[in-house]
Amino acid sequence: MAVLTKAEAPPPPPGRRRLLYRLQVLRHDPTAALGLILVVVLGYLVVAPLVAVLSDSARLQYGDEIHAGQRPGEWTGYYLWRVFRSQISGLLFWEPLLNTLVVAVGTTLFALIVGGGMAWLVTRTNVPGRKWLAGALVVPYMLPSWTFSLAWLTLFKNERAAGQVGILQSVGIRTPDWLAYGPLPIIVTLGLHYYPFVLLLVGNALRRIDVQLEDSARILGAPQRTVIRRIVVPLMLPALSSAVLLVIGRVLGTFGTPYVLGLPADYRVLSTGLFQSIRDRSTGVASVIAMVIVAIGILIVLADTRMMREHRRFVTVGGKGAMDRLSDLRRWRWPAFALGVVVFLVSVLVPVLTLLLSTVTRTPLDLSTFTLDYWLAERLPGAVGFPHGVFRGSELWAAAWNSLRIVGLASIICAVLGLLIGYVVVRGTAPRVAAFLRQVSFLPYLIPGIAFAAASLSLFAVARGPIPALYGTTFLLILVMAVTHLPYSSRSGIAAMTQLGREPEEAAQIAGASWWQRMSRIVFPIQKGALVTGIILPFVSGLKELSIVIMLTTTGTQLLTTLSIGLVDYGYTQLANAVVLVIALVSFTMTYLTQRLTNSSLASGLGG
Amino acid sequence: MPNITLSGVAKSYGGHDYAVRNLDLTIPDGAFMCLLGPSGCGKTTTLRMIAGLEQPSAGTIAVGDRILDSVEHGRYVPPEKRGMGLVFQNYALWPHLSIRENVEFGLRMRKVPGPERRARAEEALRMVHVDAAMDRYPSQLSGGQQQRVALARMLAINPEVLLLDEPLSNLDAQLRLEMRAELKRIHEESGATIVFVTHDQLEALTMATDIAVMNQGELQQLAAPMDMYDRPANRFVAEFVGSPPMAIVDTGPEPGGLAGSLLRHVAARAECVPAAVGIRPEALRFGPPPAGAWHEEATVEAVLPAGSSWTVRLRILDTDLYAVSYTPVDSAPGDTVTCWTERMHLFDADGARIAAWDEAGVAA
Repeated sequence: MAVLTKAEAPPPPPGRRRLLYRLQVLRHDPTAALGLILVVVLGYLVVAPLVAVLSDSARLQYGDEIHAGQRPGEWTGYYLWRVFRSQISGLLFWEPLLNTLVVAVGTTLFALIVGGGMAWLVTRTNVPGRKWLAGALVVPYMLPSWTFSLAWLTLFKNERAAGQVGILQSVGIRTPDWLAYGPLPIIVTLGLHYYPFVLLLVGNALRRIDVQLEDSARILGAPQRTVIRRIVVPLMLPALSSAVLLVIGRVLGTFGTPYVLGLPADYRVLSTGLFQSIRDRSTGVASVIAMVIVAIGILIVLADTRMMREHRRFVTVGGKGAMDRLSDLRRWRWPAFALGVVVFLVSVLVPVLTLLLSTVTRTPLDLSTFTLDYWLAERLPGAVGFPHGVFRGSELWAAAWNSLRIVGLASIICAVLGLLIGYVVVRGTAPRVAAFLRQVSFLPYLIPGIAFAAASLSLFAVARGPIPALYGTTFLLILVMAVTHLPYSSRSGIAAMTQLGREPEEAAQIAGASWWQRMSRIVFPIQKGALVTGIILPFVSGLKELSIVIMLTTTGTQLLTTLSIGLVDYGYTQLANAVVLVIALVSFTMTYLTQRLTNSSLASGLGG
Repeated sequence: MPNITLSGVAKSYGGHDYAVRNLDLTIPDGAFMCLLGPSGCGKTTTLRMIAGLEQPSAGTIAVGDRILDSVEHGRYVPPEKRGMGLVFQNYALWPHLSIRENVEFGLRMRKVPGPERRARAEEALRMVHVDAAMDRYPSQLSGGQQQRVALARMLAINPEVLLLDEPLSNLDAQLRLEMRAELKRIHEESGATIVFVTHDQLEALTMATDIAVMNQGELQQLAAPMDMYDRPANRFVAEFVGSPPMAIVDTGPEPGGLAGSLLRHVAARAECVPAAVGIRPEALRFGPPPAGAWHEEATVEAVLPAGSSWTVRLRILDTDLYAVSYTPVDSAPGDTVTCWTERMHLFDADGARIAAWDEAGVAA
């Protein structure tokens, strides 16, 4: 028979016993320890670089003693003064800032007009071949963003910069500098890369708007134009503002295009300015510029979340009523289709064909000079730094192997970290640890890659404590690349673990499985799918990554992307084009296959 | 096999909110103990603490002499070393393993050799009648089959203590009835101690040998099912156990109407003055009252036949209450009937039950 005894509340156990008990629990359940390790790792990889770059911007660096009149290591406002108020601050900062804004606004407008128009066309009209257009118009986003800039040079380049002149020039049409280099080409080429981004975001939002909302307005007597102005546009505002802010954020951190198209005309933006400062070894100035980029990046994302919150009340309920009713374009159907095809031609076919053509002819457009030398020749006369076709020699293969190895390892680390973060967050034994991991792993999302790379350089360029100087090592590349992709993988890791819940693991624990057995036999096997996606998405995005790696690679650790940019620097246009075509092909194929295999959305996981 | 004892067990998630406070409970060897209470009463937390999945903030949990958890002694045995079985509310079958592998897992962890492992897994599955689906995966089974597999997974390791966390709540009514009988059979066959968490008082009454009713983290009463039904320790238990619930009439400072009528009847026979009087619906009868029974005229408001019983809503003086009859009721709404009872429960001002009054006078 059961016995019920009423007792007084027991005295609280002595602190030492309580501690002993806690330790016993910890010994058998390493989740807490794992959480602490992750806190330290993320603190070191994400927070410490930012602290280091902040400190670099406010302490005097070696070599600047004479100019600043202070001793190295002292706190100083010298760099702030130099960047913001000195005679060269215009050159160092204000002009690049202005240029960045011009490029950002221009690119955003371009992407909005093209992407928004195309989104409307493929979601809300009966344009012929909608399905095909919807797929084809996203392709530019699968190519490295500076593919377009190389194609642009191949078309419009004049003799101002080294290397072969563009196609137009070679057939006798003079291309002025403003067409060949500077803001116009940068805006157009970046716009061509980013419009699919707008198309995806706006297209999704358009698809979700309930047609009945428009119908009600029309029944109440509003003409079509008023319906669009008063109903559709306000409902689209969240998606539009998100698209705008995200494109601006991406443009802020983009490096390849302004480097290729801006530098020959001395047209600097913040990212290329930062690169220049680091290359000139003016660490203090570079740190200040990096801080500015970080600040703008954070502001943009904060603005975005704020806008999203404000607009939350606009979220329309009941996708059920969202009938797939399409506007009838009548006699404009085929012209609209033609317009879509033109956009596809200009954004995919023309650039790719231009690049391809340039690599198989000695004289542009002259098919009689057809040659495979740039791909296969054992000796290329005239190219001292790269005296053979890209498939010959070891450079391409070494770079490809490096890319595969570094990006692959980074992706694996990233995915495993993401799942472990998800595990600790969902187990929820320590709410504060969970909150820290959630927020800090998302922090790199706020920071443009190039600024984060600069920050990592600040931290890892010199030996600190037990950690040796990592600059120039593949290890540093792997770490930084893993960290910059962490926001996506930690989000998907948390989502996957939340969906799984903790019961399957607890069931294994009850059945007698130790922590390692639980992880290796239950948790990770169940999360196999999430793990694979978590590896592939950063991998595809990392393969075409340039802005992060350009700061961190040395001649010893050349990647495919940096190899291509290096060839541009040398003026070996055809070879650079050939390499970028290889990247584009790999990146496109992998993205396409991933989407096919995992049904994942392109917009959710791919960086530019 | 020894008893499971919880002494002074408390669980707080930081701050002063206690999920469980100062719980003293002995679960006898071989018992079918039901932890019963509304959601959020701490019953699942208690079960998880016994399993070791959560750690008490204070107190001791032991099986016989073996201390599993004691903050005071600084001892902790992890769940994987406690050798108990646990069935989760959502079954928690591993989706990447086949049914056979699911059931074999615990044996594998105990390093049981292959042939014996297979034989024991098959036997456990046969016991719950899902041996035909052995090589399928959990997602290919129905909810009832999954539930049985979860049970088999637990039975395969022959645990001395089986813990069940609302395992029947996701099943439909027919299956639930079947599984109740099944669990009772398993309890008798295996002789294991079962601790069963539920919010369904009917489930508790039909299956358990002992019921512990909990509310707001505190144990309200620990008793055998019929003892608990007949002698609820307080108002909470009285109202929670039984359906329709016991009607409880507060007497108040100036009792009038039904309360006044009941109080006058009690005061003439007992020495105490109860703050509330409760009547179970089936104790309220119709027809000419026997001598000494409390009786009153009532108006029939509704009659709800349920096949084997008839639930009647009555208005007695100023109060609505329910009566359950096991003989046909031929009154229609609006009719006036005489109703009477010989058994009432008396509660004091704190809600504790002080006595039951019945035909034999004041009883404990």
